[in-house]
Amino acid sequence: MKLKTTLSASLFAISAAILPRVASAEVAPLDLVGPIADYKVYVSENLEKLVADTKTFTDAVKAGDVDKAKSLFAPTRMSYEAIEPIAELFSDLDGSIDSRADDHEKAEKDPEFTGFHRLEYGLFSENSTKELAPFADKLMADVTELNKRITDLTLPPEKVVGGAAVLMEEVAATKISGEEDRYSHTDLWDFKANFDGSRKIFDLVRPLIEKSDGEFITKVSGNFDKVDVTLAKYKKGDGYELYDKLTDDDRAVLAAAVNTLAEDLSTLRGKLGLN
Amino acid sequence: MTRNTGSVAPPPSQKMMKLAVAGAAILVVAGAGAFYFASKNMKAGTPNDAIVVTIKDGSCDPNAITVLAGRSTFKIVNNSDRALEWEILDGVMVLEERENILPGFTQTMQAKLKAGNYEITCGLLSSPRGTLHVTPSAESEAEAARPPLVSFVGALAEFQVFLMTQTNSLVKATAALDAAIQSGDLEQARLLYQKARIPYKQIEPMADMFADLHNAIDPIADYLEKREQDPAFTGFHRIEYGLYASNSLDGLAPVSTKLLADVTALKDRVRGLRIPPEQIAKGTARLLSSIADTKVTAGEDHYSKTDLADFEANLAGTSRMMALLKPVVSQAAPTIMADIETRLADANTALTVMRGTDGYPAYDKVSKESREALAQKIKALADAIGKLNSAIGLE
Repeated sequence: MKLKTTLSASLFAISAAILPRVASAEVAPLDLVGPIADYKVYVSENLEKLVADTKTFTDAVKAGDVDKAKSLFAPTRMSYEAIEPIAELFSDLDGSIDSRADDHEKAEKDPEFTGFHRLEYGLFSENSTKELAPFADKLMADVTELNKRITDLTLPPEKVVGGAAVLMEEVAATKISGEEDRYSHTDLWDFKANFDGSRKIFDLVRPLIEKSDGEFITKVSGNFDKVDVTLAKYKKGDGYELYDKLTDDDRAVLAAAVNTLAEDLSTLRGKLGLN
Repeated sequence: MTRNTGSVAPPPSQKMMKLAVAGAAILVVAGAGAFYFASKNMKAGTPNDAIVVTIKDGSCDPNAITVLAGRSTFKIVNNSDRALEWEILDGVMVLEERENILPGFTQTMQAKLKAGNYEITCGLLSSPRGTLHVTPSAESEAEAARPPLVSFVGALAEFQVFLMTQTNSLVKATAALDAAIQSGDLEQARLLYQKARIPYKQIEPMADMFADLHNAIDPIADYLEKREQDPAFTGFHRIEYGLYASNSLDGLAPVSTKLLADVTALKDRVRGLRIPPEQIAKGTARLLSSIADTKVTAGEDHYSKTDLADFEANLAGTSRMMALLKPVVSQAAPTIMADIETRLADANTALTVMRGTDGYPAYDKVSKESREALAQKIKALADAIGKLNSAIGLE
């Protein structure tokens, strides 16, 4: 099952890489203005929430309250994961806020390993807030800077629309293994936010191709629905079960849906005349 | 929350990686064939041959690449011992990327690049980056000189967000003003009146797009048959007339209710406005011309004498609009854009010098010379903005 998952992810990556892109000019460029403006508002709202939630989370870390900090880790991340489709627009901050240990030469011991996952490592792997205060301060400073920067940042439409697909591709290729939250195993929270964030973009541009491409719309929204239904089974309180509670069958359902979403959404840029 | 000891991650991810490598090996053979056919079928959209970039030990080979603007194809060979992603960066923005290239494998990526200098990643976050220099092509030069409509989408979306933000502030500030009027607090109403005008004056350059509401929100008595007694004398200036000329709230309650309804209608309408890119420079130049030609001389805020604050907000809105257009048009019309920025700064300076510690003086205290100097600066700005559309092929 896992083999199949990974194979189809690789197959997707290869086919996406070699197939020539088909452009379409059916959508009038000005029709994209409203959806992109609405998306900017969505991003701004999520960032406001991220800044507020990160303050509470990092305060708990700095106060040495391990239990409280642990309980806030996953919910705090959600507003960040929801805007991950456009993380390519601020790759420097994405690196310091959300990089994994593998992105760094000395892994967990690397001084450049900062952000959410560094705090996750301390809280869940070492079960301690010891020496985490500087990382807490840095995360707070980084999300504050992000919020400030986004206010004046023009969102290129091709990056927004392309980002929805790229994120699904990343979930299909790597996140599905549970690598992202490897110390806390709170991956399902991230998944929920990733899918919601990607779907937001799809929903905003959907009216532009509803008439011309009804079949595509039905297929994509069907797969998003499938993901929602599957994730809903693991709801627990305000959040989600740990990732190891996910059954092999459900993981297969998610993997299949996300692979298809990645593949389908990768055609969205072309459908909207944005290649 | 207890730490789970399940068999999920990370060990399975390593196992999966091995399986993936085996799987990808099969696929690469298939992929190579597919690539051959795909390349054969590729239309003349790839002026450059595929550029092979090999990544090993945290460096790219070659680590300085030059290509022509337009579509380029890159083949990234991962000769390092860990999975990597390869990115083309414009500053902090990733223009294109290919994720999860496994050790020993090659992936192909297409990128449509504009002329400029970029960076490429070469392994880990800390690995030194290589450079990618994109030189202009005839096609890219033509596109830069006459940006296609789609290149305005980002700026227009920001502009719509600006309109939404300002009209939100406008509704809130007008609701506060309305509350003061309805509760009979004259002093408070005067204070809130001035606050409420600022967001409206910021978006005034777009008033042509909502002329009906503009005529209800901001008409001045000079243009009405019966002046202040005219039934069409509504909106801000009617309230201003009560607050500052009659020194009374008599009769203002219904006017204020109507103003709040009108600005709320405006807020609801801006989300659906379809603003063509040429409207930004056109509307702005037109408003600034009318300020220079008539408003600076005659004044608009006859009763409160707060015209300078209005002009400041008009210029702030203009400044935001030009900042949004700049990245799209600066390559096509660098001289005009630079001229606009200079004139904008000049006009702002002409206002700032009038500002004292208590804010702006009442407009009737501003000398004729100062008014003329201000009018000149605003006129020069209007003229500079007026040249923009034809220079970027929008007329």
